[in-house]
Amino acid sequence: MNEKRYFVRDIPRRKFLELSMKGGLIVAATPSLLSQLISCKNQGLSAAGLNLDRETLNKVIAEALSKGGDFAEVYLENRTSRNIVMEESKFKSGLYGISQGAGVRVISGNKTGYAFTDDINPENLVRAARVASYVAREGGSVAPVNLGEQKRDSFVTVQQPLENIADTKRIEIMQRADQAALDYDNRIKMAMISYYDEIRGRVIANSEGTYLRDELPLLFFIVQTMSDDGKARHLSRERLSRHSGFEMFEEVSPEEVSRRAAREAIAMLDAEEAPAGMMDVVMQNGWGGVLVHEAVGHPLEADNIAKGIGAFTGKLGQKVASDVFTMVDDGTIPNARGTINFDDEGTQSQRNVLIEKGMLKGYMTDILSAKQLGMNRTGNGRRESFRYIPIPRMTNTFIDNGDSEPADILRSTEKGLYVQSISGGSVNPVTGVFNFTCREAYVIENGEKTKPVKGATLIGSCLDVISNIDAVGNDLDFGPGICGKGQSAEVDAGQPTVRIRGINVGGSKA
Amino acid sequence: MNYKDLTVQLVDKCLKFGADEAEVYLQSNRNLSIQVLNNEIETIEEASSHGVGFRVFVDNKMGFSHCNDFSDKALEDTIKRAIAFAKLTSPDENNILPDDIGITTIEGLYDPSIAGIPMEEKIEMALRLEQLALADQRITKSSGSGFSESEAEIFIANSHGLSKSYKSGGCGIGVSVVAEKEDQKNTGGEYCSRRQFTDLKTLEEIAAEAAKKAYEMLDPEMVRTQRAAVIFDPDVGRSLLGGVIAALNGERVLQGASFLKDSLNQKFTSELLTIIDDGTREKGMASAPFDGEGVPTRKNTLVEKGVLKSFIYNTYAATRAGTKSTGNASRGGFTSLPGIGTHNVYLLEGKHTRNEIIASTDRGLLLKGLTGYGINSVNGNFSGGASGFWIEKGKIVHPVKGLTIAGKASDILNDIDMMGTDIDMNDTFASPAFRVREMQIGGK
Repeated sequence: MNEKRYFVRDIPRRKFLELSMKGGLIVAATPSLLSQLISCKNQGLSAAGLNLDRETLNKVIAEALSKGGDFAEVYLENRTSRNIVMEESKFKSGLYGISQGAGVRVISGNKTGYAFTDDINPENLVRAARVASYVAREGGSVAPVNLGEQKRDSFVTVQQPLENIADTKRIEIMQRADQAALDYDNRIKMAMISYYDEIRGRVIANSEGTYLRDELPLLFFIVQTMSDDGKARHLSRERLSRHSGFEMFEEVSPEEVSRRAAREAIAMLDAEEAPAGMMDVVMQNGWGGVLVHEAVGHPLEADNIAKGIGAFTGKLGQKVASDVFTMVDDGTIPNARGTINFDDEGTQSQRNVLIEKGMLKGYMTDILSAKQLGMNRTGNGRRESFRYIPIPRMTNTFIDNGDSEPADILRSTEKGLYVQSISGGSVNPVTGVFNFTCREAYVIENGEKTKPVKGATLIGSCLDVISNIDAVGNDLDFGPGICGKGQSAEVDAGQPTVRIRGINVGGSKA
Repeated sequence: MNYKDLTVQLVDKCLKFGADEAEVYLQSNRNLSIQVLNNEIETIEEASSHGVGFRVFVDNKMGFSHCNDFSDKALEDTIKRAIAFAKLTSPDENNILPDDIGITTIEGLYDPSIAGIPMEEKIEMALRLEQLALADQRITKSSGSGFSESEAEIFIANSHGLSKSYKSGGCGIGVSVVAEKEDQKNTGGEYCSRRQFTDLKTLEEIAAEAAKKAYEMLDPEMVRTQRAAVIFDPDVGRSLLGGVIAALNGERVLQGASFLKDSLNQKFTSELLTIIDDGTREKGMASAPFDGEGVPTRKNTLVEKGVLKSFIYNTYAATRAGTKSTGNASRGGFTSLPGIGTHNVYLLEGKHTRNEIIASTDRGLLLKGLTGYGINSVNGNFSGGASGFWIEKGKIVHPVKGLTIAGKASDILNDIDMMGTDIDMNDTFASPAFRVREMQIGGK
């Protein structure tokens, strides 16, 4: 447990595991990493395991609370996934995965006990319940409420279900993307295309009587293109992801995704060294929202607030940002990557205004932190899989629209850096110190975008940066990402064009 | 049935269902994680799990599937999925499986005593560690302390008759605390993980290090934007050099996606830099008798006195490059295909102690924290967020935070002018302190 940092990854999870695991070994790393090591991202569908009757689930919950405890829950999950990778115009690999399992959680006071099994049957669940109940030996106790089926609003619609799509259709999408990338410019030497889809079935049953089940489809399409003109080289990236059916590719074509990636790869061949030091930064609308995801979102997750250590602890109702700044986490945006209908504890997703015109309005909670803080559940209790306990996580997080014209924001910025897209970043949620890395950026001179500059790091502290946002555009847009906090979660980050006065830029130009 | 026999039988099943060649990778895990906060248990997580991955070749095309349900029907369905998927991919003559039945003997990868230590004792260790870290007056809050352990057994079998397994494990303990002074907040954490329980550092040592990291950065001062020397402390060596390791990935080199693609046998860094990857070290946290596809591990010199000596390969990339696997197939568990990665990486130590390096620096940054992605392995650009201590006339004068540092890999690596002696070989990326003569530093 060195510095705890939450981050949005620039690399697919598989690569991340390769990098961090060094030869696929199980090594004891940080506690959070440790649990990651046995995680399996690609996990099945309408499987027998999810059809445990409610009577059995009632029994498991009763067993979990047999030694005491305030809350008990059984979570069943089945995930089927496909991942196809194309590199150098060849289909390098096709991967099909099925993962199924169940976890039992007991909360007693501030304590959480958790155990899981990947073989779902009544005996294993009872055994897991006994392990999880270890923490409740000295606490108070509640009597479980009998399970009753409940309803939640859904924000995910599917026209072309993934399970009806032939693999040859998936392949065709990738071929179209590859061709479009190579056709864009002869300096595009290679495209690396990753197609991923999954269907995650979940059943949530708890001692409050909640019983919910649903299935969420997810599509994640990534195109990276590499340009090389003999002097410079740039690997660009464009991503498309939604909780939806295969119709996603009718709304945004694979060719379009590739052309966007290729455009960046070509533009950045001419990149010069970036300037260094404090300067004004204009961030283009879209995935740039990852800045506030890191700098403000993570510190507003209620777990660190409940511990009394988060950067925004004790600031509720106070002015924390400039008047033009409103930030929202909204798990109800139709079919968005961060939309989840109800969270992995069964709480209905909702639109949560976190900061309104500079005033801190609320935190993002799960069941435990809501109880600890005496606040409402906001629908942010999420888990990577049955192998993890739910913790407060973001969904679709964004800076809300302001009233400035994007062109005016640029024009009124005499000197600085125009950041068109960024790779990802990280934050220390206690100190609020964040960093992120530009993918595509330009020097601003006299209110105009001029020459492109190489990927520079931007750093600052969360409270400073949101006080220094002095212009917010009216062009809100989103981008998809993978958020890491010991476990990974699919999120969207978004923003309109904004200007931040005075950020430290890590350029190499003297 | 035991897992070793099962993997061999599953290989036969893959062939029966239509694979020309097949590999079965099976993994079983057990882990325990205890987190405490403010002198009470926060979470206890315990689990055992297992899973199996199937890599099959049909007409030189590759398919992969995995599942964690070991019923006959689920296993057979999953194999059929891999074979069906293989038919969709492109044929590649380099799709071959290793046949080296050798195993590198490595001592100390598994400590059976860890599982036998009572839960209460492990909880007590975590509680005690938190108390020790909070004992320092300058520390105001805990952000948690924890003990964790894991063990795994890996079985690989393939249609070339290869059948291997090994068991490994480890434990770790760590704490993270907060130091506050007026409006300032700073976190410090320290974690120690080892293969053997008795090799863990003392709780006192870990607590003191965590507390120090939290309080020593209080009262930072900003410096102006300038060019100056940067001393990379041992903890941050990986953050900078990880990109060099990634650029040595033999497959990326073949694809032209590495800034080192044309540098084999050429000098591309200072003579002071020698980088070795050792998969065979006794008790090494990243050691293993064989790599992610069953090739025996070795000790490889990657960079010697500044000269690039070897790229790193798995069997696929090596075959394509016309060479042999370097034992560097990495594997993110049973759910993933073999990639390429290193084991225990270390730099050869130099001549100067860390204190000597500081004392000989007229003006510069002692870098303790580096954020960002390190050196970009595709084009060699580097930019990061920096924190540490400012040095004037050979002495540390004050902490610094919120700086940036940047440069090109070729400039930075050739500018390494002092290499330290203080190396902790327990790290999976073990680096002594080293100095880069001059870098661009961004400040006020």
